[in-house]
Amino acid sequence: MRALRHAGVIPSLLMLVVVLALNARLQHHFFSMLSFEDNVSTFTPTILICLAQAIIVLSRELDLSLGAGVSLINCFLATVPASAVGGPWALMGLALLLALALGAINGLIVTVFGLPSLIATFATGAVWYGLALTMVPQPGGTIDETIGNVYSDTVFHIPVPLLIVLAAMLIWTVIGRHRLGRRIVAVGSNPVAAFQAGIPVAGVKFIAYLVGWLLVGLGAIAISAQTLSGDAGVGTAYTLTSVAAVVIGGISLAGGRGTPWGALVGALVLGIVANVIYFAGIPSIWQEFFKGLVIVAALGFMVIEQRRTAIA
Amino acid sequence: MLSSPDALVTPAGEPSRLSSPAETLLGVRGITKRFGGVVALDGVDLTLARGRVLGLLGANGSGKSTLSRIIAGEVVPDGGTMEMAGAPLSHASPQAAARRGIIIAHQHPSLAPDMPVWENIFLGAEICAPGGFINRGEARRRATGILAELGSTMDIGQPAGVLTAAGQQLVEIARALARSPRLLILDEPTAALAGAEVAKLFAAIRRLTAKGIGVIFISHRLGEIGAICDDILVMRNGRTAGAWTTSGRLDEARILSLMTGDPDAVLRPMAARALGDTILKLQGLRAGSAVRGVDLELRRGEIVGLAGLQGQGQAELLEVIAGHRRIDGGTLWHRDRAVTPSLPRDMIRRGVCLVPDDRLRQGLFSGESVGENLGYVKIALAKRPWTLPLAELGQLAAATIRRLLIKTEGPEQLVSALSGGNQQKVVIGKWLATDIEVLLLSDPTKGVDIHARSEIYAIIGELAAAGTTALIFASEIQELLLHCDRILVMYEGRIVGNLSGAAMTEPRIMAAAFGRASEGADA
Repeated sequence: MRALRHAGVIPSLLMLVVVLALNARLQHHFFSMLSFEDNVSTFTPTILICLAQAIIVLSRELDLSLGAGVSLINCFLATVPASAVGGPWALMGLALLLALALGAINGLIVTVFGLPSLIATFATGAVWYGLALTMVPQPGGTIDETIGNVYSDTVFHIPVPLLIVLAAMLIWTVIGRHRLGRRIVAVGSNPVAAFQAGIPVAGVKFIAYLVGWLLVGLGAIAISAQTLSGDAGVGTAYTLTSVAAVVIGGISLAGGRGTPWGALVGALVLGIVANVIYFAGIPSIWQEFFKGLVIVAALGFMVIEQRRTAIA
Repeated sequence: MLSSPDALVTPAGEPSRLSSPAETLLGVRGITKRFGGVVALDGVDLTLARGRVLGLLGANGSGKSTLSRIIAGEVVPDGGTMEMAGAPLSHASPQAAARRGIIIAHQHPSLAPDMPVWENIFLGAEICAPGGFINRGEARRRATGILAELGSTMDIGQPAGVLTAAGQQLVEIARALARSPRLLILDEPTAALAGAEVAKLFAAIRRLTAKGIGVIFISHRLGEIGAICDDILVMRNGRTAGAWTTSGRLDEARILSLMTGDPDAVLRPMAARALGDTILKLQGLRAGSAVRGVDLELRRGEIVGLAGLQGQGQAELLEVIAGHRRIDGGTLWHRDRAVTPSLPRDMIRRGVCLVPDDRLRQGLFSGESVGENLGYVKIALAKRPWTLPLAELGQLAAATIRRLLIKTEGPEQLVSALSGGNQQKVVIGKWLATDIEVLLLSDPTKGVDIHARSEIYAIIGELAAAGTTALIFASEIQELLLHCDRILVMYEGRIVGNLSGAAMTEPRIMAAAFGRASEGADA
């Protein structure tokens, strides 16, 4: 309990319970295995991208190009035929390499050239989106079905999306016990202290970008596996979602404070909110409007809650 | 010492080891460093032998911290050479210095506030199992051991951000010890520590020197310097003013005169001055967690010092009086009227002006010229703000530059190009556009060289002679002793000492600063 309070996730857990209850009420057969599998495969990309943002935010940076990066990787998968690169698995591998390259570019711009990540990644995001548009000007194209089949498969009766989330959480936990993870937290908590302690601050931030973008790559593949087509706008919403999830998950935007579990809870809250809005029968043109309102309300609730506990 | 045969074959021209009583660990020759227009170091020499403690003394801004940060690889010098154990030292990073065994514990600890104490101690030098996984058990055990050596039994699992100033200082020292230094630099390690902790620290230092480790010890407390140091080096204005071996007895008069460069300065008594009526009075004033019930009274023309350990609410108190922070309780009287300022301008209109702590960020528009900086108070207070009396502003700037002897190429020069002391004069000068009744100064001589420092105090004295009251928070006690009629001591958000006349001595102020109330009775 003390650990939970320290991590600042109690209010977000509360929020999770509320939205879960709403979802259970609105979605028929919410507790059935089918609905569960469906929900997990829907939430997986959100969770992965929110975890990615969380790692970068922990190092006291930000990445506003995650969504556009997702779009670019999706369009890459829809444009390059799997047969041309040696099969769907190779294509997925290339997609991950592309993600790492995008992360490396952002990381270099922020650490080596020292541009502020807020605006620099906003700008690279425009570049990613522009590239995606040239590859897939109109939504369409097809993605190798094998990728979709792999994603909806099960291993030992465990759905693959759930396995991916578990793997991502496991990677996070492992990094958290490793020197690297603690250095990411140290750099975010106080870059001056980290520098004076002999930690290579720029290098650590760069690695945070790489690890984050590996997760973005996985998330983009997961989305592509669901849609099986290319769309330069498919990732757009994920940027806001990832930053909001980080805040809802109690991860300080000032860096250094937060846990992957917070990011997970934040991602689930926002994923379920999207579900609730969908199942509440709100017309699709109003869905973005309500999602925005809910995010503002959730952020307000978190900020008030954090202020209250800070005083107590 | 002829124990080493090498010593006999030292080629001519190199400094012979025959002449030194112990083997030299660190030799620093002619180090220079400039920050913008300010000369921080102007050719410093320093020699430290193995197993000895060198006391590094000097007024604030004399270059002690810059020199120690250069030795520790945090600042790159502009010129000069360094030698460690006979091999040249040219490193540009703390990592490189640490590899040579040079470790510094900073005056202002820089810790990762969100991480536990034990992780802070091993930050950047993590104790890992093969593969880089952190060995928590071993790290915690060693952290506990090192802190125990320093006499601390603090909870090593708590985040460093919740520690008191003393706790953070101990963690900073523990972090340095954890790296097994060959040369340990302690930059004012005792500033936040109590007597018992200081004794433990000294015992730890002695254990290190017994192993042949060299220590550079920076402090303002002459008693401590006398107790722990084998050698003394006094710095003034970025130069070595004097260096000698203490041989058991500390020549305090020599140190003080070398530090100030003016043998009479230390002894000059304050001329008694006639004081006017009460101008400002605080009763049980509270604001936030820093100001917790302050009572004080200031009279017209009085120069009052505000002393205390770091972070006892001094800077915050000045900000409250200046209307920068909201008052949560108690009363602030200006003349015979209770006022509750909600904005700085409420107090500026009453002639209560603040010279803030951070002059470049709070006190000046650093991208503007000297003239513009001197004029904007006048513009802000103008009765007809839609007019801009350029000629009048020009005269004001020229007059202020003359009056305060601001060294500048002219009103058009960028204020950021001035030296620290002249920047501070501009901050004070901008208030001359109004009738200053009370001037609040927060650490006004931080990073200011000693000459400009005395000029700043001369300005304050001149203003006081004309009836302005000054309340000065300074981290240097000597400075306050020299220039104030009276010294108030703050401890944990309250005034715990009010010393004047013969009671105004450094030991009494220090006693009050550590919360030993017996000395703090109203004089």
